[in-house]
Amino acid sequence: MDALKHAIDLLSAPTISFTLITVLFPFVFPPGDWFEKIHRKLGFWRIWTKPGLYISLVLITLFFIMGYYDPNFNITLTKPDNFPIILLVYSVVICTWLSMYKAYENDKRMDRGEKPAEYNDPDDKVLVWPDLVYIEFIALIIFMVFLIVWSVLVAAPLEEPANPAATPNPSKAPWYFLGLQEMLVYYDPWLAGVIFPGLIIVGLMAIPYITTSSDNLSGFYSFKERRVGIFLFMYGFLILWIFLIFIGTFFRGPNWNFFGPFEYWDPHKLVPLTNVNLSEYFWVKWIKTGLPSNILLRESIGFISVIIYLGVLPVLLAKYVLNDFLKKVGPVKFSFFVFFGLSMLSLPLKMYLRWMFNLKYIIAIPEWFFNI
Amino acid sequence: MFNKQDERYWNIHLLNKWFAITSLLFIISMIWMFIDDNDDDFKVYQKTFRKMEVETTKRKLEKAILEVKDEQSIYLANLENAESTLESKTEQIKQIESKLTDLGSRKYKANMDYLHKKAEIDALKYLVEKEKSHIHELPKEKDSKYELKYNTYLEELHSLKQKKENIESLYSDTKIELEQMKADVKQAKTELSNVMRDVDLVEAKLNKLDRKKMSFSNRIGDIIRDLPIIDFMDPYYKVKQIVVPDVKYDVNFASVSTVDRCTSCHLGIDNPDYLDAEQPYKTHPNLALYLTSASAHPLEEFGCTGCHAGRSRGTTFYSAVHMPNSAESKYDWEEEYDWEKMHHWLKPMLPTKYTESSCFKCHMDKPDISGGDKLNLGLAIIDKAGCNGCHQIESYPKRYNTGPDLSRISEKVSKEWAKKWIHNPQSFRYNTWMPHFFNQENNNSHEMTQRNTTEINAIVEFLFKSDKQINRLSGKKYIGDADNGGNLFNSLGCRGCHNVLEDASELTTLNIDLDKLPYEYSVSEYGYEKSETNLLELTKQQGPNLIGMGSKTSAEWIYKWIRNPQEFWPDTRMPNMRLTHQEAKDITSYLLSFTNKDFEEEKFPDLNIDELENIARGWLVKAFPEEKAELMLSEMNLTEKLDYVADKSIRYYGCFSCHNIQGYESAKPIGTALTSEGSKPVAKLDFGHIHDIEHLNYSWFEQKLAKPRIFDRHKIVAPEDKLRMPNFYLKPNEIEAVVTAILSFNDDKVGEKKMARYYQEDQSVYEGYKLLNQYNCKGCHVIDSFGGQIADLIGAPEFSPPNLNTEGEKVKPSWLFKFLKEPTLIRPNLQVRMPSFSLTDDEWNSVIAAFQDLDHNDLVFESDHHVDKKSVKYKAGEKLQELGVCSNCHFYGTTFPKQGAETWAPNLALSKERLRPEWLVKWLNDPQAVMPGTKMPAPYIPSQEELEMEDSKSIWGNSLITLRGDRKAMLEGLRDYNYSIPGKIDISREIKKYFDEHGYDFGGDEDEDDWDDEDW
Repeated sequence: MDALKHAIDLLSAPTISFTLITVLFPFVFPPGDWFEKIHRKLGFWRIWTKPGLYISLVLITLFFIMGYYDPNFNITLTKPDNFPIILLVYSVVICTWLSMYKAYENDKRMDRGEKPAEYNDPDDKVLVWPDLVYIEFIALIIFMVFLIVWSVLVAAPLEEPANPAATPNPSKAPWYFLGLQEMLVYYDPWLAGVIFPGLIIVGLMAIPYITTSSDNLSGFYSFKERRVGIFLFMYGFLILWIFLIFIGTFFRGPNWNFFGPFEYWDPHKLVPLTNVNLSEYFWVKWIKTGLPSNILLRESIGFISVIIYLGVLPVLLAKYVLNDFLKKVGPVKFSFFVFFGLSMLSLPLKMYLRWMFNLKYIIAIPEWFFNI
Repeated sequence: MFNKQDERYWNIHLLNKWFAITSLLFIISMIWMFIDDNDDDFKVYQKTFRKMEVETTKRKLEKAILEVKDEQSIYLANLENAESTLESKTEQIKQIESKLTDLGSRKYKANMDYLHKKAEIDALKYLVEKEKSHIHELPKEKDSKYELKYNTYLEELHSLKQKKENIESLYSDTKIELEQMKADVKQAKTELSNVMRDVDLVEAKLNKLDRKKMSFSNRIGDIIRDLPIIDFMDPYYKVKQIVVPDVKYDVNFASVSTVDRCTSCHLGIDNPDYLDAEQPYKTHPNLALYLTSASAHPLEEFGCTGCHAGRSRGTTFYSAVHMPNSAESKYDWEEEYDWEKMHHWLKPMLPTKYTESSCFKCHMDKPDISGGDKLNLGLAIIDKAGCNGCHQIESYPKRYNTGPDLSRISEKVSKEWAKKWIHNPQSFRYNTWMPHFFNQENNNSHEMTQRNTTEINAIVEFLFKSDKQINRLSGKKYIGDADNGGNLFNSLGCRGCHNVLEDASELTTLNIDLDKLPYEYSVSEYGYEKSETNLLELTKQQGPNLIGMGSKTSAEWIYKWIRNPQEFWPDTRMPNMRLTHQEAKDITSYLLSFTNKDFEEEKFPDLNIDELENIARGWLVKAFPEEKAELMLSEMNLTEKLDYVADKSIRYYGCFSCHNIQGYESAKPIGTALTSEGSKPVAKLDFGHIHDIEHLNYSWFEQKLAKPRIFDRHKIVAPEDKLRMPNFYLKPNEIEAVVTAILSFNDDKVGEKKMARYYQEDQSVYEGYKLLNQYNCKGCHVIDSFGGQIADLIGAPEFSPPNLNTEGEKVKPSWLFKFLKEPTLIRPNLQVRMPSFSLTDDEWNSVIAAFQDLDHNDLVFESDHHVDKKSVKYKAGEKLQELGVCSNCHFYGTTFPKQGAETWAPNLALSKERLRPEWLVKWLNDPQAVMPGTKMPAPYIPSQEELEMEDSKSIWGNSLITLRGDRKAMLEGLRDYNYSIPGKIDISREIKKYFDEHGYDFGGDEDEDDWDDEDW
C-alpha cells in the first residue's frame, strides 16, 4: 500500500502528471485519423462505454477511500472547503462520459447509415410549458433539498478573522479560482488573472463556430463530426481548467509547494526557485556580457520571441501545416483559431519552459510591471 | 388546468409523482433543519438544569418551611383568633360597609360637581382676564360682561367645595372605623407573612420553574414560548449573554467588545447551590473573588473570557474552544464530547492551570497579586533568573542585574575557577541560578566542546585583564573565629537571604512523576528537580547558597565584601550589615570553612590556539568577504584574537544581560522580545522537527524552558547560529509558573477602568512594592501576611525581625524615612540587625508609600500630638503605667528595665518620635489583634464596676475614678503618658555595652509561664 501511495505521490508531481495527461489526451479524444487508430488499438474507446464509466467511478472512489484512510490525505480531503471539488470530479467525469457515450452511439448509428438517435426520439423532445418548467421546478426542489441537507450536515467552514500580519499558509483562492492561481505560478497577474481567463472563455466558446462540422448538421451528439473541436475544447476545459483546480486543491501545500496527495504538508519543505529570465539567459549565459542598460534592448530577444510566436508562427502554420484547414474555414476563422489556440498553448509551453529551463519570464520589465 | 388534448411528450403523472416525492423530501429536509436548529447543546443543558433547579428549589422550600414551622403555627393561630373575633361582628360590619358604599357614590358625585364648576370658572377666569387687559379699548362706563358671572360662580364653587369636603371626611371616618375593626386580622396577616417571607420567595420561584405547579394557561404559555419561530419573543431556553465593553477582542481591523455566552451552559456558575454539581452546572470555585456582585470581579462587568479566553460567542463545547489541562482530560474530552481543538480561533481558552496569566493584564503594576500565586512565582522567577535581561518585556522590564558585577572579578576568584564555573556552574553550586550554556544537547559534541572551552578561555582572559588579582595568601589578618562567625551568620540576619545547604538532599522534595510531563525534560546531574519552589522559598535564595566559598575566593575579598558590598558592586542588592572588624573576620572564617574538593580537583582545558583561530575566522567570515577575513585574521596577534573571540562570545551568549561588564553597558538584549509573546500565533513558533508535543503556544514554551536547545534537534546549523538560550534546569512547577507569566505578556486590550491602577491614586506605591521584593524585605519581615522565613531559623518570633503588619499606620513616615536611611536600635534584645540599604530618597518614599497603602493610610505630613500633662487622662495614664509596670520590660530612656534581657522591649522614650498616636491607642487596646504572637500583654484597664468598689480610691487613684471606666480615655491617657516619657532616644551604645559585658546567653526557650497574660 505504501509503495502504491509513494508511486501516486511521484506520478502526481505536476511535471509528470501534466506531461502524462497531455501525451495521453489525443489518444483519448483523438483529433485525427492516426490518433484514432491508436485510440482504437489501445482500447481507450472503452472508456466511453457503460463498463468504462463504472470502472472509472470505482477507481476514483477507491482513490478517495484510500485518501480518507491516509492520515495526510485525509486532512485535505475532509476539509469542508474541498467537498465541492470531490463533487466536481464526479460530475465532470459523469457528464463528460455521458456526452461521449451518446456521441459514440450516434457515430455508430451514422456508420451504419442510420439517423442519429435524437432524430426521432420522442423522449428527447420537450415542451417548455408545461413539461420543461415542471421538470426544472422539480430539479430546483431537489437541489434545495441537497443544499439544506448539506448545510445541516457540514457547518460553514469559517476561519479566524483576517490578519494581514499572519496570512494562512498556503493562502488559497476559492476553489473556482484555483486554476487561475495555478496559472499565476507561471504568469504575471495581468496575464494569468485578466487576459488568459478572458481568452480562455471566449476561445472555448468560439470553438464550435470555427470548427463547424462538414454539412452543418447540428442538434445531436457526435464525436466524429467534431474531432478537432472537441479535442481542443476538452483539453482547454478538462486539463487547463479542471485539472489545475484539482491540483490547486489537493496538491498545493504550504509555501505553494507541490505535495503528493499522501505526503505530509511539511511547512519546512524547500524547493529551490532559481529562475532566470530569458534576457539573462541570452546576455549573461550565452553572450557572456552584462545586461544592457537599455530596457528595450535588454528585452529585445523576448519581444522577438513573442512576435515570432504570435506573428510569424501563424503564417508558417498556414503555409505548411494547416493549409487544408485554412482552405476549409477561410482566413478570418483561421486567424481567430490560431490566435486562441496559440494563447491556450502558451500556458503549457511556459510550464514546460519553467520546468525544463527554470525560465522565469520571456519578457521581464519589472520597471513597468510588464512581464510575460 | 391542463388541456387533455394538448400534445404531450412527457408523462404528466410521472412528473406529478416526482413532484410529490421531491416535495415530501423538501418538507422532511425543512423539518430536519428546524430540529437541527433547535436542539443546540445549551438548550439540552438548560433543560437539565431546570430540572436540577426545580429539585434544589423544592429542597430549599422544604427547608424553609421546616425552619418557620413553629413560628408559623403560632401566627396562624393568632390569625384564626382574630378572624373568629371579626366574625362575631359580622352584622355591624355589613352595616358599615353598605354605608361606605353609599357615601362613596355621594363622594364621587360631589367631587364631580365641584370639578365641573371649577372647569367652568377657569374658562371664565380667562375671559375676565382677557377683558381686563383690553380695558382701555372699551367704553369706560360699560360693565364687564363676565365679571359678575365669575363672582357668582365663585360663590357656588365655594359651597360645592364645602359639600365635597364634608362628605369626604365622613367617608374617611367611616373607612377608618371599618379598618379599625379589621385591624387585628390585618396585623395577624402581616405578622404571618413576615415569618413566611423566605418561604414565599422560594415558592414564587418554584412556581415559575416547575411546570407542574403552574396554572393550565401558564403551562401552555410556557410550552409555546419555546416553540420554533415563536421563540424569538421571550423564550425560556435561550442564549444568555454578557456584553463586556471594556474587554476587547482584536479582529485585526477593529476591536470588538466581548460578548460572553458561557453562562448559556455554565448555568450555576454564580450560584453557590451547585458547588457539588457536575460540569457544566458547577459553581465557580472562588465566588469570594469572582462573579458575585459583592466580589471584586462581578460577572456583569468582567464576563468570563476576559480571564479564561476562548471563543466567547461559542455555545457548544467545541466552538467555545475549551482546552484540556492534561493529556488525561484531553482523552476524556475526546471520548465524551468528540473534542478537538478549533484551529481558527486565535485565543483558545486557557487550560485552568494557566488561567492566572490573565490577572496580569489588569494587575500588571503591582507584584504579588493576591490569589495569583502561580503568576507571582512565575514573575518572581523571571526576575530571579534574569529572563527579562535577554528578552525585552515592556510590561515587566528588567529592574536590576541578577548576576554580580564583573568589573572587579579578578580580585574575587581565580581564572581557573571562573572557567570551570562558566562551563558547569552546578558542579560548584548545585542549585545556582547561573544557567548552563554548555554541554547542552546542541553543543555537547566533541567539536562543540572544544569550541566552547576555547570561548570560555577567551572570555575569562578578557574579564581578568585587571592588574589586581586575587590574593589567597595574605589572608591571615582577615581570619577570626569560625565558630563565632557561624553564630553571627545565623543570628545577625544573613540567613534572611542566604542559605548554606551543602547538598540537594536537604531540600524538601515533592512527589512529581518526571516521566509523565507533556514535554521532554532535562534532568540535571545534581538532582534537585523535585524540590519545592515557592515564593517563600525564593526569599531564602535572594543571595547565593554560600557553599564552597573556601574553594572560590579569598579571605580578603570576603572580608571586604561583607563590610562594604558596594565597593565591589555599586548596584548590589546586598545591604551593609554594619559589621565590626571582628564580626567581619569571624564571618569570613566561617564562610571559608566550606570547600568543594571535587570542584577544586577538576582541571579546565588550556587554550587551544587552533580552535581560537577557527572561531575567529568563523565570525570574521560572517561579517566580511572571505579574503578580507583571512587577511584580518593573519594580522591579529594572540591577544587581539582572544579579545575578538571574547567580544563575539560575550555578545553571542549575552553575558552582559545579567552581569555588568565594562564596555557592554549599552549592548542590546539578545533574546526575542517577549512583550506580546502570549499573543504570538503558534505558526510563528519554530517547532523544528519536534513533533511529540502539542501544537500549542504553551506546549512550546514548556518545552523551550525544559530543554532550551531542543528545537535545534535534527537541524544542520552553523555554530554561530545555534540556539543559545541557556538551561536553567527549571523544575516542573517553575516551568508551569514561568509559562503562566509568559502567557500573561500579551496584546489583550482592556478598558482603562478595568485596570487596577485606575483605582490607585499614588502610582509610586507600585515602585515601593517592587522595591520590597527587590531587596527581599520579606526574607526577614512579615509584610502583608507573607514572609519572615528567618523566624524559623531564629526559633522565637520575639527575637526575630518584627512583623510589619500595620506598619503603614503604626509609624510616622518622617521617622520611618529617617530609620530606613540610618537604622537605629529599637528592640534592644534582638541580635538580628536591620541592615543599611542604600536606596535613593525617591525609592524610600515609595517604600513608605507602599506600607501606607497596605494600611490605607496615605498621609505624609501629620500634625504633632500635644500632651496636656495637667489633664485627668494623663494622670490616669500615669497611674495605669505604674500599675502595669511597663518598666519591667521597657526602657525609659537609659533606665534599664527591671527584668532580664530576654524580656526587654523598645525604649518608650522613642514612642513620641516613632509611633502614630491613633495606632498606639489601637495597639494598647489589644496588642494581639495588631501583631498576633506578640509578647506584649494588653495593659490592664479597670472596668466601671471595679472603679466603683469601696476601696477603689486607694487602688486606682482619683484620676482613673474620674474617668468612670471610659476605656478609650484611659488608653489615650496611657498613650499620652508614654509620649511624655523623657530620656535618651538612641540607647544603642548602652545596650551594646551591656551585651559586651553579659553576652547573648539567652535563647528562645524561656519559661512560657512567665509570659502568661493572667499571671501578668
